[in-house]
Amino acid sequence: MAIVQKAFLRNMSYRFEIWLRLIGNISVVFIQISIWSALLGTGAIEGIDLSTMITYSIISTSVSMILMYQMIHTIDGKLKNGDIAMDLLKPISFPILMFFDQVGNICFQVLCTLVPTIVISSLLFGLTFPHEWTTLLLFFIAILFAVLISFFISYLIALISFWFLTTFALEWMFTALITVFSGSFLPLWFFSKEWRGVAEMLPFQFLGFIPAAIFMETIEGMEVLWVLVKGVLWIITLWIIVQLLWRRAIRRLVLQGG
Amino acid sequence: MIRVDEITREYRQWKRYAGLMGSIRGLFSREYTTINAVNQVSFTIDQGEAVGYIGPNGAGKSTMIKMLTGILVPTAGELTVNNLIPHMNRKEIAKHIGIVFGQRSQLWWDLPVSDSFELHKRIYHVSDEAYRKNMDIFMELLNLKAFISQPVRQLSLGQRMRAEIGLALLHDPEIIFLDEPTIGLDVVAKDSIRSFLKYINKERNATIFLTSHDLKDIEEICPRLLIVNQGKLIFDGAVRDFKANISSGKLLTIEFQFDPGTLEFEDAILIADEGARKMYKIEKGLSFINTFIGRISEKYIITDFSLQDYDIEQVIRMYYQGLESESDLQGDLSKVVS
Repeated sequence: MAIVQKAFLRNMSYRFEIWLRLIGNISVVFIQISIWSALLGTGAIEGIDLSTMITYSIISTSVSMILMYQMIHTIDGKLKNGDIAMDLLKPISFPILMFFDQVGNICFQVLCTLVPTIVISSLLFGLTFPHEWTTLLLFFIAILFAVLISFFISYLIALISFWFLTTFALEWMFTALITVFSGSFLPLWFFSKEWRGVAEMLPFQFLGFIPAAIFMETIEGMEVLWVLVKGVLWIITLWIIVQLLWRRAIRRLVLQGG
Repeated sequence: MIRVDEITREYRQWKRYAGLMGSIRGLFSREYTTINAVNQVSFTIDQGEAVGYIGPNGAGKSTMIKMLTGILVPTAGELTVNNLIPHMNRKEIAKHIGIVFGQRSQLWWDLPVSDSFELHKRIYHVSDEAYRKNMDIFMELLNLKAFISQPVRQLSLGQRMRAEIGLALLHDPEIIFLDEPTIGLDVVAKDSIRSFLKYINKERNATIFLTSHDLKDIEEICPRLLIVNQGKLIFDGAVRDFKANISSGKLLTIEFQFDPGTLEFEDAILIADEGARKMYKIEKGLSFINTFIGRISEKYIITDFSLQDYDIEQVIRMYYQGLESESDLQGDLSKVVS
């Protein structure tokens, strides 16, 4: 869609930022790998060795790059300065507008930071690729889920800000939850049994751990299927919640300024 | 076309308390005061009319536009645009209206102007033919061709505003809402915008609903005038009538060498008194003014005096002040107005 293209182009207009992001991402991968190599050395904990963790770090960092958290700030900003009125006055649904705007951002991220990050860090640190093409297919489905779930969660946070007119505290809380339960910081393998149970109940694992684990073929067969079903259920649940809240938010809308 | 019937919109303002203890109290307090931004306003506007909607800051002008465009729900009353209730049919109505907010932008900040137009074309499903036709007109009349390929952030305010207006009209809307479209612009830019809006109103029979603080905008574009103050509609009629009624009088400003104190006369109403400088409103003809000045100069030393017609801006200013201070002027002017 046209919105995707424009959002993509908008990002392109800041060349300097592209370079900064690239350097930033590789630094994150580098830091994670340094920590893991210090912890694991040449040995392994619970069957996880360094090369596994390198792949995990690269993939989960890459996945987190293409999620739609940015949208919280976009909507929050529009709400604070009243620009949301301009978007509501278009004959197109606001969530759809935002979604495709974000897709444009993602396309940009994939092309300008994700691909270079993966290429450079796999050259620097080595990346273990999956053995079967079906894994790649499943991986892409998992990525799609991650994108959708991140969209809904971000949208949910933004919607709640319709009531409080600020998102900061809420976003802080969700960032913490996502950091821990998505497994992007510490893979769910290392969680204790109880905590792992909690993490598996929550949607956050789809935002980092699941795509990476599928890519590395640590989840296989029927287990993958079950995980994907859970993902679909989460997407539907979040979608319904967002729909309901959106209707109520519109009703409540008191625009700032003017 | 547009029908507004006894519309009221309230805002709640949460009570805030001063000081540190006050701000802590504010965390728990749920007290609020209700403010009527729009108070039982009624009017109808037909297709092809151009209406100026004016009032001082905080009179509820933007609130009215927000309700008419469906992004704000009225507290009470009925309101229809094209026989639809705006806030229930927001997307449907959006196809038929164009909106320009002087203080907001629909353009994509980082991209060239042309990109915003292309995106708009897609969002509003404008046909290639209509798009080309409109773009030709805008390029010419709004002189968009001078800056169409520049990023929006590099445009001057005047250029940006012309682009905004073109963008709002791309899908041939039947109704155009403009909220202070000439705010902060220079005379040349204002002129080009005014003549363009007049052209659109005539050629396309588009309804124009315009708010502005610059009454020249209204005088040039809109034959009809609505005045609001503190949420209430206080005048609805032709701009011509409004002016005709009040322009029979003249304003006489006299500067004395020394402050003569309060000077009141029959047939000359003191409307501004700054001590040595006084302003009178006189309804009678020139010969009366001659003898009036003669009479005063016998008693006091006059250093200077000037005589002027009302312009609409002055009258409205007096009108607002009158309403606020409840002075004698109020009764006097509302007689003139009604």
